[in-house]
Amino acid sequence: MNQKVFKLTAFLLIVCGVSAFLIAYINDITIDRIAAQNAQALQEGYTEVYPEASEYSETEYTGSDAAITDVVSAKKDGQEVGVIYTVAPGGYGGAVLTLVGFDIETQKITGIKVLKQSETPGLGGNCTQPWFAARFAGKSAAQPLKAVKTETSSDQEVQAITAATITSTAVVTGINAAQADFAANYANR
Amino acid sequence: MRIGKEFTKGVIAENPLFVQVLGTCPALAVTTSVNNALGMGVAFTAVLVCSNLVISILRKAVPSDIRIPSYIVVIASFVTMIEMIMNAFSPALYSALGIFIPLIVVNCVILGRAEAFAGKNAALPSIADGLGMGLGYTLAIVAVSSIREILGAGTFFGYHILGSSYEPILIMILPAGAFITMGFLFAGMNIINRRQAAKKEVM
Amino acid sequence: MELFALIFGSIFISNIVLAQFLGICPFLGVSKDIKSAFGMGLSVMFVMILSSTICWLVYTFLLVRFDLEYLKTIAFILTIAALVQLLEMFLKKHVPALYKSMGVYLPLITTNCAILGIALLNIQENYNLIYTLANAFANSAGFTLALVLMAGIRERLDEADVPDAMKGLPIVFFVASSMGLAFVGFTGMI
Repeated sequence: MNQKVFKLTAFLLIVCGVSAFLIAYINDITIDRIAAQNAQALQEGYTEVYPEASEYSETEYTGSDAAITDVVSAKKDGQEVGVIYTVAPGGYGGAVLTLVGFDIETQKITGIKVLKQSETPGLGGNCTQPWFAARFAGKSAAQPLKAVKTETSSDQEVQAITAATITSTAVVTGINAAQADFAANYANR
Repeated sequence: MRIGKEFTKGVIAENPLFVQVLGTCPALAVTTSVNNALGMGVAFTAVLVCSNLVISILRKAVPSDIRIPSYIVVIASFVTMIEMIMNAFSPALYSALGIFIPLIVVNCVILGRAEAFAGKNAALPSIADGLGMGLGYTLAIVAVSSIREILGAGTFFGYHILGSSYEPILIMILPAGAFITMGFLFAGMNIINRRQAAKKEVM
Repeated sequence: MELFALIFGSIFISNIVLAQFLGICPFLGVSKDIKSAFGMGLSVMFVMILSSTICWLVYTFLLVRFDLEYLKTIAFILTIAALVQLLEMFLKKHVPALYKSMGVYLPLITTNCAILGIALLNIQENYNLIYTLANAFANSAGFTLALVLMAGIRERLDEADVPDAMKGLPIVFFVASSMGLAFVGFTGMI
């Protein structure tokens, strides 16, 4: 009986071992490509969100908001002119990885870009479209924004995507987290 | 030709979704667009063919008592590898399919075919079986997603085919619409089955 | 408060069966009468809470520590399969009455995508142990609720005049869509 259990366990362990080895191998092959793709998407995102900068450099995020995953300083000729936040609020189908760019001089949102999302195609999935991002460009960074379903009645309101309120609200929540940090640290310069 | 038969049976006669009623979770969840359904179908077929092949090759070596856990390890390994490959080569599809990629592991079709076929047949028929079932499942979920995308968004594969004046029936893209589409399709299957049964009786 | 929102949301707003599409196979197969639906629901609750906790522990203290996060799918499904197997053996020996009522469903639960799905979602959402437990409890409660509701309706449907083409699965799908729509009404509550 013990011999049988030993044989069974040994077989299972061998199968697990071979599988783990193969998985590790594929992981090795793909991990660099995945990292490179992510890095490239980020760089393209930075340029799209804050086009006038000549270089983008990582800054340390010292705050405690879990929604903000990264802060990048946009510089022009060595001078810091803008800040780009990476936020990942929870949407309908998972995190909505979004870049939010702020301009220090005008204290406004320069643009947003949704990099990764798992929302419903045709509905929340449209949060990656330029026409949705355009709704945020130029908004003041002094106050948090609010997503509304109908026509906007004030500058602090943004119209949500029809039938995709959860996705739209998620994006706005992420932007507001960035806005709070921006207003606290970059407001009076 | 016998191999051919193993292939074609999975497409219609023993279609995993519409006849065996297996793999219904992804069929409802990822069919919001034809693009996603197709992606899922391809990933699913890849895992099925690979796992069928390996399990078939190992079928005489696997002790019967631990065959299910062994099959699960093989299937889970291929799913993990496919997951990584998808992340590296089609990241948008990877994000869109989300959690349903790892859930291919518990897709009853794959474990079912391993147990019912690959564990008892040679490599070549097992590959044919995997390809056939995979193709059948892909066709099935593409059918579901076509209905949902065309009616629910006016597009097919992202292309607007119903013109800009078409008001999409939004509910088709929402979860309720998934159930409704499946309901109609299964009702259609019922009608076809009854007609075939009636024909057989007449004969 | 956030915990309450999570629990309420998981049961009603993004119900695991009606909105997230996890656990459809048992939802279609085991919802013919209230008694078996309830039995399946409780079995799933038991396994889901246990497996989510153990998977979380395995991930946090084993996989992360050794940089092996990419092995989580395989590690989780093996954990779940082992857990269900051990549970079956334990119940058979020590609580035979429970084994008899739950026993038939246990092997089915291994391939229940809800179990693996929730274990993976706990990691994806970066939940700590408390939230993981709450999430597992809430989702399995939502699963039980959906199953029992469907069973109740199906028991009545048996006496209704269902068109021939709709008999069996089709009408269940239509009922599920109505249930899903009804649950959407909860969205505005929190």
